[in-house]
Amino acid sequence: MSDLLPYLIGGLANGALYGLLALGFVLVYRATSVVNFAIGEFLLVGAYLTYTFALFLPLPLAMLAALPAAFLFGILVERGFVRPLLGRNVVAVIMATIGLASTLDGGVQLVWGPDLKYLPGNLPNLGFQAGEVFVSSRAVWNLLLALPLGLGLLWLLRRSRYGILVRAISEREVAALALGIPTARILAGVWGVSALLATLAGALLAVASGVGPNLVFLGLKVFPVAILGGLDSVGGALLAGFILGILEALSQRYLETVLPGFTEALPFLVVLLVLLVRPYGLLGERQIERV
Amino acid sequence: MKRREFLRKLGVGTLTALGMPYIAMAQAKPVKLAALLPLTGPFAFAGNAGREGFVDGVDYVNEVQGGIGGRKLELIIEDTGYDVAKGTAAFNRVVSRERPEELLFVYGDSTGLSKALAPEIARMGLPYSATSFANELADPKTYPTIFVFGPTYNDMMEALLRQIRLQKGRAKIALVYSNTEFGRDPIPYAKERAKALGMEVVHEEVTPPAFTDATPVVLNLRRANPDFVILQGYALSAEPLILRAAREQGLQAQFMGTYYSAELALIQRAGPAAEGFTVTYHNAYWYDTLVPAVDEMRKFRQRKGRDTSYRPTYYMGSLAVVLAIAEAMRRAAGAGKLTRAGVVEYLEKLGDYNGLGLQRSYQFVNHRLPYTKLYRASVKDGRFNAITDWIKLA
Repeated sequence: MSDLLPYLIGGLANGALYGLLALGFVLVYRATSVVNFAIGEFLLVGAYLTYTFALFLPLPLAMLAALPAAFLFGILVERGFVRPLLGRNVVAVIMATIGLASTLDGGVQLVWGPDLKYLPGNLPNLGFQAGEVFVSSRAVWNLLLALPLGLGLLWLLRRSRYGILVRAISEREVAALALGIPTARILAGVWGVSALLATLAGALLAVASGVGPNLVFLGLKVFPVAILGGLDSVGGALLAGFILGILEALSQRYLETVLPGFTEALPFLVVLLVLLVRPYGLLGERQIERV
Repeated sequence: MKRREFLRKLGVGTLTALGMPYIAMAQAKPVKLAALLPLTGPFAFAGNAGREGFVDGVDYVNEVQGGIGGRKLELIIEDTGYDVAKGTAAFNRVVSRERPEELLFVYGDSTGLSKALAPEIARMGLPYSATSFANELADPKTYPTIFVFGPTYNDMMEALLRQIRLQKGRAKIALVYSNTEFGRDPIPYAKERAKALGMEVVHEEVTPPAFTDATPVVLNLRRANPDFVILQGYALSAEPLILRAAREQGLQAQFMGTYYSAELALIQRAGPAAEGFTVTYHNAYWYDTLVPAVDEMRKFRQRKGRDTSYRPTYYMGSLAVVLAIAEAMRRAAGAGKLTRAGVVEYLEKLGDYNGLGLQRSYQFVNHRLPYTKLYRASVKDGRFNAITDWIKLA
């Protein structure tokens, strides 16, 4: 068991990041039915923003400073890409996010260059030895930041006034408008929070492994995580993130030697299998359409 | 009317006569060298440094060495993104656009791309080399126009394995490599030779060429408990991560790598974890100021107002290639044979040239240069120090 534990801890550390990113993705989907294909690029831009701030500030402050910058970025995206397409078919907005993704990919390389960069400075080392097992600083930080944030957001959505407004808008936008709810502002806020979550995930990733254009590939993992959890379930996104993180770790330990490269395909395979049994994901709501 | 027409013709004729010398110079067609490099993608750092080496080398050839027999050497750069499809498209684009009398050398990138293009290159009789040191390319019978400007990955593995045998008898080794042609190329040879040399391969791990979390790799390595770990198929995209994770997890093994891991940036990125990292490297480092080429290039760059601070190994390698190609072209031009076949002929006879000290020599054996030195990373010195002289591998 102590042999397996380090893998599980690593899996949880990765799962925390998957969960954070999926949370940002699902929030937007839940509120606006928009599939944000640029979520990986949100992570990328967030990581580079953190890097830029870290050139002038100590790393923890840089990460803190990057968050409001990310929120602003999210709002700008909503204003620039989503708002003008309001009222159109939601597919138009999805196409816009695909275009945005390409633009951000290229833009990031234009501004910061294609090299791998390392963040100057480090987060305080919180790694510790628990008996035979070494828990890395990375794992501690990921869980420390992701879990409270995720659970906090969940609580916010359920209990706070803002959360109820978001859920109201997501259920019946027209009715919400009719009731005088400031829909536009709230939706902008949702995009902002989504970008903020992606940025935190990107910053944590960058701390461990450097900033480079390849960070965007984590964005590909968002889709199996979000679908596994249920596309409209915020709690599901977090849970699915951890589940996939752990499954990946187990695959790396047991299956990688037999089937090299299999771990990359695992999330998608898992989603496929789960969807066969539960078509709406683990915690997704059953959609009944009456025709 | 007649007078006006006469004057007009006289005017045009005069202008043409005056312009004749300029037209004649423009007629001296340039000699073209195309470089298809990974300017984006997982090896962008190496690709961009390599590009700079090509640019500097070509400028040096034209401005200091007088070009190629009165003709200007022109450089064409294309991005492959380290993707075979993109690289093939770039190759086709360049080859179909340029004339065979002008485009006399193409330099490609990955092992995958080079292997894919090799049959076509052989058919076209096009002189070719690449950033790849794959064994398959060093085959003058099958690919008579392809040259490898260094030892092959098999040769590099041989050098590392001999060093391991020197350091420890019956050693346990692990092979960690990327799932690219670059990573896989020397693994069968390495496994076979390791067995022959009395070593045991206790673990083999395949990874993507660039990844973000080295913990599972290192955990697997710890279980296997090797004495030595050889990394292959990364160009600084993963080694620092692996080294740091290994140190963090307390893995007591000596790490080794081949040519593309021999870059100073590895020591900067891996920090204390880089100590003792052993690599094969067959060019000069920018800090080897006794090497004529380094001295020359520093002065050249200063004259051109370019940054004279440290240039990476990928820059040095490209420089070595350009100088050699230019020398072969110059000799071919001198013999009146400045064609693709002529360039191949004179590359094969380049044994007495050493690229101003950038390479031991250009005496090709089976179209490769089977010599390398071993270097070891010193964190205190902040550089790689040579631990052997030239090792002969064939």
